[in-house]
Amino acid sequence: MPGPYPGQVVKVHSEKSLELPEDQVNQNVVRQMLASGMKALAGDARDEDAWRRFISKDDVVGIKVNCSGAPRICSAPEVVGAIVEKLTAIGVPADHIYVYERFENQLRTVPYAKYLPSGVSIWAAEESRGTILGYDPRTYVETSFFGEEDTRSNLARLVSEKLTKIINVPNAKEHQASGVTGCLKNIAYGNFSNVARSHQFEKTHTYSLIGTLAATEPVRSRVVLHIMDGLRGVWHAGPFSNDPRFRFYPKLMMFGTDPVAMDRQLIDLIDNKRKAEGAISVWDRSREHLGDNRDINKNRYIREPGHIEYASRLGLGVYDQQKIKVQTVEL
Amino acid sequence: MLFLAAALPILFWNGGPDSATALREAGIERVAVPAGQATGWGTGVSVEAFDPAKAVKLATPSVEYRANEATASRSPWLDANGWTLLRRPSARYYYDVPGPAAALAAAEAFSYGANAMVRTDGAGLKPFAAMLRFLRSIETLELSPVADIGFVDDGGDVAGEVLNLMLRNNLLVSIVPKPDPRLKLNVRLGSREFPMEDAQDPGGMAHTVRARLTDEKRSLRIYGTQVVLARVLRGSGRMRILLLNYDGARRAVDGLRVRVPGSFPNHRAAAAGSSSVQLLDYVTEGGATEFTVVDLSK
Repeated sequence: MPGPYPGQVVKVHSEKSLELPEDQVNQNVVRQMLASGMKALAGDARDEDAWRRFISKDDVVGIKVNCSGAPRICSAPEVVGAIVEKLTAIGVPADHIYVYERFENQLRTVPYAKYLPSGVSIWAAEESRGTILGYDPRTYVETSFFGEEDTRSNLARLVSEKLTKIINVPNAKEHQASGVTGCLKNIAYGNFSNVARSHQFEKTHTYSLIGTLAATEPVRSRVVLHIMDGLRGVWHAGPFSNDPRFRFYPKLMMFGTDPVAMDRQLIDLIDNKRKAEGAISVWDRSREHLGDNRDINKNRYIREPGHIEYASRLGLGVYDQQKIKVQTVEL
Repeated sequence: MLFLAAALPILFWNGGPDSATALREAGIERVAVPAGQATGWGTGVSVEAFDPAKAVKLATPSVEYRANEATASRSPWLDANGWTLLRRPSARYYYDVPGPAAALAAAEAFSYGANAMVRTDGAGLKPFAAMLRFLRSIETLELSPVADIGFVDDGGDVAGEVLNLMLRNNLLVSIVPKPDPRLKLNVRLGSREFPMEDAQDPGGMAHTVRARLTDEKRSLRIYGTQVVLARVLRGSGRMRILLLNYDGARRAVDGLRVRVPGSFPNHRAAAAGSSSVQLLDYVTEGGATEFTVVDLSK
């Protein structure tokens, strides 16, 4: 990261991608969005050629999904299934593909298997919550925030030991602690253990930890593509989706290799929705707004959307909107 | 401190001689009973009289998660007796622990070489006996506790709680009558470095002590769990690490990583309730030894 297309983002929108109120994804439309997005990003006429720029048939590919708001808001199985179709189409064997997440109890609530060919593995780092056995003891970031005894955040073993490439498939969500959760947070907090300690208290450490983890090798070099599933989103009280009042439906997918540039768009997507709903900005830091977040103008933490700009200073991508090129495709 | 079989805790039992068969079947060969009940036992079970009122009573070792309680951290609360055992090493102790936690009480007492009686109920009998068999199987070696910190104990309540919280953070502490220059850090509450006023927040003081020591100088680090406390013993070029899962009566710890300074390329591991113990990712490099214990049930 930021890969071959720093400062470039492709947004593909289709009103037909999601049927409402049924909340049903149209996978054929998703396939078209995927093809359009990849071609626009790479500048190729054929989407297979675009895919081959990132993945070869010899790769072992991980698809990092996000299931923290599952089963309602997550990396949609229709999207993940469509990505796997393209990987197998360019010659990646199904048994070299892993759909993975940290928590098995969240992952199992999403019917990914139904959308995947035989041979694709579905893997969780924590089969039981809190276990360290799915993490690499030799690859970690060590830091102490408040005197916690366990000062290490270890990388998922799958990433350090098996995968050669990672496709990041985050959602478009507000996050109570980090402000938003998109590309950066999904590859950072989604690949390392013991990260909840960064937001134990109302003033969090998400500002620096997210970028630090995302910039850690081998994560940084193995994440080659970000495909944000913004068909559905959460604009408040995220990353979970316990309250249907706070869901929204952008019917959007974003493509890029630069997680900072993509997350910069996400801030505006979430904040504009919040503004439309009469909620305070994710940039608000006033203590008077700390409190029970069933109220849209309250939050349990001081949000840190500045983590995205911080990540840009670690070289992970372009933050300045003036320097970001956004292509928009309407289907 | 030499760990001898004699340091094994003893079952305190209210049952009469008619329970001798049940005790033997459970694997108990030695009991303490209230004065006046020590006769008539026959052979097979060794009996001595014991008055709990004359012993120091200890808390039931356990974990309280207190999930619905606002606390300064999300760390679970551990009821551990290390601080008491360390303060009075020659005292006689008494646990009253029903159920499977009796096994943990036995292990805790053993890890401090304490002279302890453990009263339990029928549900605790077999776990206790199984723990005794395990403790008896541990090779007897001349080993001394490893300490990084010398604590000048004034015997007061505040000092006791600071000591408790240091031990609960797996800081290796020895009580010293005066600062010991051989130790990495000495702590005397009321000194300029460790003001008594600050010690009114014992948790904060324990963190201050840890920060002064620095994690780099610690002789033990445990990662991946908040419910396991350790004792480290050393002698004749060998190190023994005793790991106690304070939640062991309810659930196993599904993996924890241990780091100790020094290179120990050879190792043996044993766990109560398990015929074999797997240590994963055992590495000796950078002047330290690290390994992962896959499963720690007790």
